[in-house]
Amino acid sequence: MNPTLKLTVIVLIALEVSFTQVWTVNVALIVVGLVILLLAHIRLRTLLWLTAVPLFFASALVWSLMLRGNASPHFLIVLFTRMFVYVYLGATFTQTTAPLDLTRSLEQNAKLPSKFAYGFLAAFNLFPKIRAEVATVRAAALMRGQVLHVWSPQLYFKVILTAMTWSEQLADAMTSHGYVEGAPRTYALTIPLRSRDWVYFVGSLALVQVGLCLGLP
Amino acid sequence: MARWHVKDIILVTILAIFMGVIFWVTGPLYTVLGAALAPFGLQPMANDLLLGLWCMAGPLAGFVIRIPGAATLGELLGSVVEMFLGGMWGAATLISGIVQGVGSELGFVLTGYKRYNWLTLVLSALTTTLVTFGWDFFRSGYNKYQFGFMMVLLITRFISVFVFGGVLTKLITNLLSRAHVLSPRANA
Repeated sequence: MNPTLKLTVIVLIALEVSFTQVWTVNVALIVVGLVILLLAHIRLRTLLWLTAVPLFFASALVWSLMLRGNASPHFLIVLFTRMFVYVYLGATFTQTTAPLDLTRSLEQNAKLPSKFAYGFLAAFNLFPKIRAEVATVRAAALMRGQVLHVWSPQLYFKVILTAMTWSEQLADAMTSHGYVEGAPRTYALTIPLRSRDWVYFVGSLALVQVGLCLGLP
Repeated sequence: MARWHVKDIILVTILAIFMGVIFWVTGPLYTVLGAALAPFGLQPMANDLLLGLWCMAGPLAGFVIRIPGAATLGELLGSVVEMFLGGMWGAATLISGIVQGVGSELGFVLTGYKRYNWLTLVLSALTTTLVTFGWDFFRSGYNKYQFGFMMVLLITRFISVFVFGGVLTKLITNLLSRAHVLSPRANA
């Protein structure tokens, strides 16, 4: 499915189940999510992780509401299953879509300005360097006997300075490679937006609406 | 009004990733805190206690970049990064990202993107708290809590957002303006 449409449908469904209270639809969505994940050959370890963590959070939330709230059992079931809907549906996107495909699709299909698409990609690919930089800043401070915590302004100050330098250098590098903001571009690789994608998109949204309106528990 | 250039877009993304990496460290903290509080039915408290940390990218980006939309974009991109780096909420993270981003953006909107001082940060902390709490009110069933406990959660959340998004952000931007790296409009 087209990445932009896939992302949109998942976010819309997640938004919708946040405001509705039909646990049967939640369970149906969980099953669909699981099937998609299995078809995508998700690794068993990832799947276990995706099950164990929401299990903890959902149980803790339900337990907390039982102790300190006045929610009905029906609502608690809705809340419990809702957490799993988020995680499984969310994973169907991340497990089947590469960041590069999403940015390309957003640029070509959703008409996102190219400066956002390429700006984001440029920074995203710096990730390993960014992680190393945080470690370096901390190590450098340690050598002077300073421990930098999550709440130390110095830590953020230093990484912001680095971010400023890097972003200027990257932007200059892009310009020197011929990148012009807002100039018309051709695509080396086009992301198709087929009518099939629209059918899936409208179809799955319609199915969820039907499920929500049927009066299921 | 200032416009987005590719340099700013890269800057806000790098900032978001930096924040993401730093908060990676708090992942275990959240789980440990959550697990410790869970038996007493206080697990959501862990969420509210640490929320300020996760929402810091917004005010910080808004303060450093000073273009309308910077706070929203900072939070949103932070959640995109988290989504792709294996955050377990996957695409659902984006919704929280937008909610938190809009929350902190509102603080800057209220001052018309003209003032960058204490007032802005306090307003931003206030709007972040209200918007994200409103979201949890429905999503996490906060509306079903007893009123007293709900207020405790709300106040905890505000303190957390105020300490990290307000006080800590102010301390950071103080360092930045002493180093003369903030935009000149900063001191106007």
